[in-house]
Amino acid sequence: MSIWPEEKLLTPAEAEFDTVDMTINIGPQHPATHGVFRMILRVDGEVVVDCEPYIGYLHRGLEKLTENNDYRQAMGYWDRTDYLAGMACEHAYVMAVESLARIEVPERAEYIRVIMAELSRINSHFLFLGAFGADVGSFGTSFIYAWRERERIYDLFEEVAGDRMFPTYMRVGGVAMDLPENFEERCRWLLGSIRQGIEDLDGLLTGNEIFVERCRNLAPMSTERAIALGITGPILRSTGLQWDLRKAEPYSVYDRMKFDIPWRPDLQGDVFDRFWMRLSEMYQSCRIIEQCLDEMPKGGLVLNADLPKTLRVDNGEAYIRYEGTKGEYGVYAMSKGGNKPYRMKLRSPSFCNLSALREMVIGSYVADAIIILGSLDIVLGEVDK
Amino acid sequence: MSSNATSANLPPAARQLPRADLAALVRAIGSIPMEVSETRTDIDIRIDAGHLLALVDALRNRPDLAFDYLRNVSGVDQSPEGMELKYHLYSFKTGYSLQITVPTGTGHPHVPSLTGHYPAADWHEREAAEMFGFVFDGHPNPRNLLLEEDLHIHPLLKAHPLQAAEVMQGIESGPPGFTI
Repeated sequence: MSIWPEEKLLTPAEAEFDTVDMTINIGPQHPATHGVFRMILRVDGEVVVDCEPYIGYLHRGLEKLTENNDYRQAMGYWDRTDYLAGMACEHAYVMAVESLARIEVPERAEYIRVIMAELSRINSHFLFLGAFGADVGSFGTSFIYAWRERERIYDLFEEVAGDRMFPTYMRVGGVAMDLPENFEERCRWLLGSIRQGIEDLDGLLTGNEIFVERCRNLAPMSTERAIALGITGPILRSTGLQWDLRKAEPYSVYDRMKFDIPWRPDLQGDVFDRFWMRLSEMYQSCRIIEQCLDEMPKGGLVLNADLPKTLRVDNGEAYIRYEGTKGEYGVYAMSKGGNKPYRMKLRSPSFCNLSALREMVIGSYVADAIIILGSLDIVLGEVDK
Repeated sequence: MSSNATSANLPPAARQLPRADLAALVRAIGSIPMEVSETRTDIDIRIDAGHLLALVDALRNRPDLAFDYLRNVSGVDQSPEGMELKYHLYSFKTGYSLQITVPTGTGHPHVPSLTGHYPAADWHEREAAEMFGFVFDGHPNPRNLLLEEDLHIHPLLKAHPLQAAEVMQGIESGPPGFTI
């Protein structure tokens, strides 16, 4: 079996007369690359013949920094990985440390964490819908629609944690502080607003024939190929496989939640399906948050009361898998005693999804390559670590 | 928009399965010397680099294991004893997950590339190579990924100082004997 699929290079023009390939550089500073990402395309006319992605422009040495900081200090770096969903990244990080140190988390804190993680997911998916709409050509309209709800979510984060994008709200053993007094009321109001926002974007984009025609049948992907390339998250689910770590290997209180993994019989993993999958998932996240608000204990501790001043962890290793907003957010953690991790490795979903870009864009038009990149929903902070 | 369809597409055993079963299945592969132990989250198989491809062949092709997904590749600097590579695998067909540990020497140890079995290994191995100095035999594109193309330092080695960038720029002096 060959690793790389046979390249579908021959264009009609090439079959008849000789052409000269041209090299186009896109990025690192380019609005369509969603951050500092560079790709060098070799094109034959309008058709992409080869693509070489270049990453690392945002490399900050997350893993080295984590090794050199106390378990609690290092957390501030981790919400800067997927900076659209800081709460979710923190959640994965503290889960890794808790697994190493065998620390219990109060039940109320688990519910709060899930609420925050799901709000982050909605937040991140809103950014995708807005930015992707802009990639395809709705200009600023989808962006502005998405920003309305994102602002409200960030306002709530600010009220809860004191910061909007990088809340540093989770703690090893719980969360930093209890929810503000009127949180439940505000959160329920916010969910109504979010649902309205999703419907607006749904109408604006899914209801637009040009948008749908542009995205359908573009870069379809089979489930087997997606698995082989290490693709996870909404992109894997858009190929028709109902696999979500929140159901497959449940953590926190997800095993008590009732939610569905969106599915349609005609899913084929193309750009439209990826868009549709994220849109549909947001409704499910709203359902999860509502159940958390209904079921969570109304009082009690939100932080384990038996924590030492300095966290010292025994020898051990763990690989925590977390359903991040982009896919499997894995944290490999190793401790050799002491107050610092010996090794902490981030398996970042954007990194792995982006590694499949080359295969997806070969054979497509240059203009479509931009849309395919947009449909991967990468966050460069997470790709480059 | 209907989003809560029910389908038969959920993998048959998508839930985590008992680890004891998996350990027995792995031991049944036979013929490959290995040590099986447990981490906090997974079964760990410790194996020499020379047996890695044979083990992965078996893990991937035996229908009762069917590990079809490479989650993660991670280097660990265990100096002075050496270095280690950690592979995390998962099976969408059976729901099993495990960790493979491959101990190596220090310097630039050679390890067979898994890109032939898992195309997902491509970027993972490039990252481990530049961060630790591993050489993956058979990798189709062994260039730097996150670091500069012509920068041949290995920042995640324990001997590499935290502020190497400042050392390079001449702002700080590194530990004795450290050069870039």
